[in-house]
Amino acid sequence: MGKLTIGCFSSLVGSLSLDFAVKLSEAAVKKGHKVDLWLSGNAVMLSKKGQKAFRDYSYVQKTVDELIKAGNLQVTACEACAEARGYHKEDTMEGCKRFSMDWYLASCFDADRVLLIGGD
Amino acid sequence: MATTKMGFIIRSLPYKTEASRLALTHAIASQSVEIYLADGDLVEAELFFIGDGVLNCLKKQEAMKHYGNTSIAMHLENALLLDLKVLICKEDVEKFGLAEDMLVMDAESLGGETKAAIVPFSEIQKAMEAVNHLQMC
Amino acid sequence: MKLGVLMSEYRAGTDTLNRLSAEKLGVIFVGNGAYHATVKENGKASPVLEKAATFYVLAEDLESRGYDASAVDGRVKVVTYSDLVDLVFNDYEKIIWI
Repeated sequence: MGKLTIGCFSSLVGSLSLDFAVKLSEAAVKKGHKVDLWLSGNAVMLSKKGQKAFRDYSYVQKTVDELIKAGNLQVTACEACAEARGYHKEDTMEGCKRFSMDWYLASCFDADRVLLIGGD
Repeated sequence: MATTKMGFIIRSLPYKTEASRLALTHAIASQSVEIYLADGDLVEAELFFIGDGVLNCLKKQEAMKHYGNTSIAMHLENALLLDLKVLICKEDVEKFGLAEDMLVMDAESLGGETKAAIVPFSEIQKAMEAVNHLQMC
Repeated sequence: MKLGVLMSEYRAGTDTLNRLSAEKLGVIFVGNGAYHATVKENGKASPVLEKAATFYVLAEDLESRGYDASAVDGRVKVVTYSDLVDLVFNDYEKIIWI
């Protein structure tokens, strides 16, 4: 089995691009692969606590939470991008981490496959 | 000891989305990645500007003056100061009627020695083939 | 190189896609890119499908937009997220998102 590193800059709600990242992560984990999901720019909000489920809006927090607890998904948010958005360490979902951008490159270093989903 | 090469392909216009800014800042972060890796292991980042992305390279961007944001040009200068390889697509530069002296091509004002290169897309294609992973922004 | 392109846009990005070449090129339509697999404007299929590549469309994004497999151009294979994982790991070395 392999390692997939996904970087995502896309907004939490709106474009479904971050939903794609989560669903691809889920599919990869189900097949026994390891996934690192790096969140930067507007995507950092995925790792913020307290998201509410409304049918009109994307809600992926539950899926992310389950995948993290199952063990093969690591979600890491860019600390600077988070702080710039008023999202602090104590606001972070359990199991999600925060690091600087070099963490993403380190994850890519030993990944079998890397996919960056740009900002929208 | 191993080196992983990452090619950041920048095709997005600046400022309306963060894509090009984040591409540059992530590429620049390759300078401090060793703290996470074993001794001697490295990540090298290269930057390729294509399509609308070449407009990120214009000099005299005044984003700091008007919006209090570091301009993309400033990030590009930093990338050159840190000796990152920067390729700018010749066909797209010409398509937009740009000349080399309108673009950020070096970081000499900061004491840097590395220069960007305006090259045919075919050279960028080769560079894309030579890296381990691609990051399209 | 073996390059997988996740094409997420319908109205933009084709200029970039047109320039890419690879020993093996796969184009997977995701998000709004799914419209390339189904929509005919003025009776014509998307010009993207003329490119020398293997084409796929993500079923989940196709169906989210109101299409099913019967609407998909014959040149495009319908795949699921699970299939996409296999394509990423087994068929293509480098993956990009447009």
